[in-house]
Amino acid sequence: MSYENKILQMKKMLGKKTETKQEKPAFIKPDVPNYIGKWQQAGLTLVENDFGVLFKRVVTYPLTYRHGHYELQELFDAIGLWEQSEEHPYAVTSDETLVFFDTETTGLKGVGTHIFLLGFLETDGEEFTLTQYVLADPSNEAALLFESKLWQRTATIVSYNGKSFDWPQLETRWTLNQAYIPKLRQQKQIDLLHSTKRLWKNDLGKMKLTTIEQEKLGFQRVGDIPGFLAPIIYLDAVKSGQADALMKVLHHNEWDLLSLVTLYIHSTQLLFQKEISDSAITYTNIGKWYNDLKQKNTGINVLTTVTEHFDITDTGLAHFYLAMEQKRACQYEQAAKSLIKALPAIDIPFQIRAYEQLAIIAEHHLRDYEEAKVYTQTGLQLISSHEKWSSLQKEKQFSKWEKRLHRITNKLNK
Amino acid sequence: MFSKKKSISELLQAWQYDEELKENIVHWHTLDGKAAEYEPFPEELHPSLKSALQKRGIEQLYTHQREAFDKAVRGVSFTAITPTASGKSLCYHLPVLQEIINNKSSRAIYLFPTKALAQDQKTDLNELIEATGEEILSYTYDGDTAPGIRTKIRKAGHIIMTNPDMLHSGILPHHTKWVSLFENLKYIVIDELHTYKGVFGSHVAHVIRRLKRICAFYGSNPIFICTSATIKNPKELAETLTNEKHELIAKSGAPIGKKTFIFYNPPIVNTTFGVRRSAVLEVRDLSKRLFEAGIQTIIFAKSRVRVEMLVTYLKSLTAKKIQDESIQGYRGGYLPSERRAIEKGLRDGSIQMVVSTNALELGVDIGQLQACIMTGYPGNIASAWQQAGRAGRRQDEALIIYVAQSTALDQYIVNHPTYFFGTHPEEARINPDNIIILMDHLKCAAFELPFSMTDTYGEFTVQELLAYLEKEGVLVKTSTQWHWMSDRFPAHEISLRSAAQENVVIIDMTLPQNKVIGEMDTYSAMTLLHEEAIYMHQGTQFQVEELDWEEKKAYVREVEVDYFTDANLAVELKVLSEDKSAEYKSATVSYGDVGLLAIPTIFKKIRFNTHDNIGSGPISIPPMEMHTSATWVSFDMPENWSEEQLTDALNGAAYAMGSFIPLFLHCDRSDLSVVPQVKAVHNDRPTIFIYDSYPGGIGLSERIYDILLSLLERTIEHVENCPCKSGCPSCIGAQDSLGDSKKQVLKVLTILKDEMEWLP
Repeated sequence: MSYENKILQMKKMLGKKTETKQEKPAFIKPDVPNYIGKWQQAGLTLVENDFGVLFKRVVTYPLTYRHGHYELQELFDAIGLWEQSEEHPYAVTSDETLVFFDTETTGLKGVGTHIFLLGFLETDGEEFTLTQYVLADPSNEAALLFESKLWQRTATIVSYNGKSFDWPQLETRWTLNQAYIPKLRQQKQIDLLHSTKRLWKNDLGKMKLTTIEQEKLGFQRVGDIPGFLAPIIYLDAVKSGQADALMKVLHHNEWDLLSLVTLYIHSTQLLFQKEISDSAITYTNIGKWYNDLKQKNTGINVLTTVTEHFDITDTGLAHFYLAMEQKRACQYEQAAKSLIKALPAIDIPFQIRAYEQLAIIAEHHLRDYEEAKVYTQTGLQLISSHEKWSSLQKEKQFSKWEKRLHRITNKLNK
Repeated sequence: MFSKKKSISELLQAWQYDEELKENIVHWHTLDGKAAEYEPFPEELHPSLKSALQKRGIEQLYTHQREAFDKAVRGVSFTAITPTASGKSLCYHLPVLQEIINNKSSRAIYLFPTKALAQDQKTDLNELIEATGEEILSYTYDGDTAPGIRTKIRKAGHIIMTNPDMLHSGILPHHTKWVSLFENLKYIVIDELHTYKGVFGSHVAHVIRRLKRICAFYGSNPIFICTSATIKNPKELAETLTNEKHELIAKSGAPIGKKTFIFYNPPIVNTTFGVRRSAVLEVRDLSKRLFEAGIQTIIFAKSRVRVEMLVTYLKSLTAKKIQDESIQGYRGGYLPSERRAIEKGLRDGSIQMVVSTNALELGVDIGQLQACIMTGYPGNIASAWQQAGRAGRRQDEALIIYVAQSTALDQYIVNHPTYFFGTHPEEARINPDNIIILMDHLKCAAFELPFSMTDTYGEFTVQELLAYLEKEGVLVKTSTQWHWMSDRFPAHEISLRSAAQENVVIIDMTLPQNKVIGEMDTYSAMTLLHEEAIYMHQGTQFQVEELDWEEKKAYVREVEVDYFTDANLAVELKVLSEDKSAEYKSATVSYGDVGLLAIPTIFKKIRFNTHDNIGSGPISIPPMEMHTSATWVSFDMPENWSEEQLTDALNGAAYAMGSFIPLFLHCDRSDLSVVPQVKAVHNDRPTIFIYDSYPGGIGLSERIYDILLSLLERTIEHVENCPCKSGCPSCIGAQDSLGDSKKQVLKVLTILKDEMEWLP
């Protein structure tokens, strides 16, 4: 390539660079909506910043404020417990600023879903403070986001499904306003939906926060609006200027946040087994969770406690999970015993898994082929009589089990 | 029988003296080959790209590839006409890769009409990228993409290969997750442009307008590169689809081997009713000859059922060999792994014969075969040439056999080779102005980004439409903007593949666990999913046991019966507004909006093969209303005709005209409907309505308004030349009795033609 050509090429690249470098569009401050007076009357405070206006509501609670079973200040005990614990996704230290966070939105997903309420609940050690920021109208969005200070401060965000919903949604809103406001900071996230699922799997049918409140946290809402009405209520408030119903959404959000605090306290206490206060299923779930986190000692302890503490009809799964740990630790005979204890109290798919484990232990470790054969045959019978599986699922299982049966029979005939 | 391998020319020579064959061959046509035309690599082509090409044995570019590169570098959007096997993918790969190598933050979107095509192209592109040694990430992004790698694709993918449906509902409504793509989008590649026509194309035109709107928000202004099969109006289609000026690359530099076309018309077995031998059986016999001569062949059939039939027939050729895989079927509904294996078998030659639906018409890489058989005319010239293009290895001689069916369109084509070889492929029309489609996408656009009080959308001014949407309660107006404000997700309510807003879900109850096996637009469902209807899905018969019209669900169960069902739809038409009109002596041709009331009446059970009517029943589905656009022609009742005579003649005329519409417009037979009325409601005169089969219209009937005269001429000519005595499925439709209906139909058509030729 000739020298001139090279220079020409560089010139073109130079051109591209300047082309991609774009001037930030100047921000035009949107007009103030005409209903601010009415919203103020309803109990909201008007806030104005460089990007427009928004509304705010602040509520403080004394440390002794009781919400259901717990006083808010029990949060400090919970943090204390975590400070002395092994690694855990829910562990925090007293150096962190815990901010309980929940939003209300106009939809479930996509760029067309607005966040119209950002709710924060936190404590300075003296009292608890709820701060709610309300979108004045969609044109004043930058003002709302800017005011949340989430671009500035560092906090540990505690939420309910926030990791996959509220926070990504916030990121979306932020991206749309990226030309004007500073970047959103990445914050540490603790999502209590995750722990709730681990704790109460097979125990609670629905993992809705209101269900948890009633079943586990001792709180019953009175006069709450159902969450799915929130979008329509906000739309109406913007269109009509009437904010009375909107205030109910704010109360709904307030309850959500208070319950997040007590849920965190409650889950922590369960995980540290302060006292046996929940069902065998819950503690079995806790034991399995510790096992999955590779904190085997704690896991085995919890499961053993379950088997000692509850009636045999409720401890099937605890025995099953204990057996899996015992097998991993090469304690085959104990594992087999635990499995046999588990059998009468577990459902069919687990029974099938238990017979599979028994067959494996008998065949490969205890080398008792007769017994292995019996377990395998029982397993096969269970599979064929199990009604909830499709024929395809059964087919798959059959081919696996028949192979095993064939191999064991061969070994017996040798 | 002893068989031996033959070359195409040896085979053709033998056929020249085959009396049996010769009788049915209506036309031989040879297209001479053409040598390749080359240009050197462009100066600025990046060295790593150059070496990647050289590794593939490419030392220079075909002229069209070079032209494409130069235009792209100049920053011009363009459309290239690319016949099969002309190396079209380099038309876009080269400029795109060049850009990304020079600037690693650059991004490109490749749009393919289907998921499968995107996945095919991925392999090809990745091989090229690997040969460059550059780190360029290309991914397919569709419903099959694992959730685990989606984040990576969004952030780091240089080239995103996807389809319009995914763009519509999976990418655009979530554009904030794709910031790095939209901020740096340099190229949008639209492959198989010609497939974006009719309702689907009109939808995609809006998806692209939305895409461009989002690009503008993030400050990018991408260049469009389109590639298309031969159609009449590629530049116009590309410009309407993308709302952007395009330059056209019309001439391909790729070499073409000599091609011999044989037009084969099955013999007439019943002269009176004009019944010909089944095309499928003829294809079976011809395929057998090609198979025995060892010629690698692709056979196109129009439906999945026909593919399966032919495969079954042909497999008997190899039945005596164990594990012989040399004959295969290929169609939608096969597993991706099965399809990949067949494609590979075709490339390496282990498969000698493949029977396919038009699934293999598009750019799936199967290499080039020696011969192609078309079972029936695929419906339009562009498809026919795409199918024919599958035969012909570079410089080798190729054989294309077209076996005509007995439909009017097929019989016209087989008897008018000049039409086929003439230079006028069909037009592909789309209509982004369709207000229903426009409103659908305006909602999506408002969901994606707010509109200001001065914003336009594409070429449309939309402030009044936005005000309407505010009244509907999905938008809210602030001091400066219109914002989406509803918990609905509009993209999920809008399917690109149909303009009807609601679909009927088809649920299979054969197994205890009910399974959704498909969807159908409500209009078609009226005649295809009524209770007791036999619904065919992937060659399996299902009977509709229950149709829940309120909930739009059809419950079906697998059955094995020897009949199919055929339902009647009574249509009432009402003229709502007349936009254009031409007065003749005693006839009027008009174009405008019509209201249509479709009332399903009865269905018949018809036995396979014999087509005996073996039963019937009522259909209880409420009538359906639809607004669409139509062209209609009214005339005075001819003297001395009874109403009954006129009804028959009009029905025949409508049948004949309807068959020819795909010849003029690049559209499916079902995109337009032709309905005659002896006494139209609005003027009491005999009238033939030709209307768009989709709510709101897609611009096809408006074209008919302009070309009605030539449509009539062509129809008359064909009906006159049809060898049948009194009407047959090839001209005016099957007739119950031997009357003079053919004459009557011609009379009506001629009256209309004469009227229109008369100049005031």
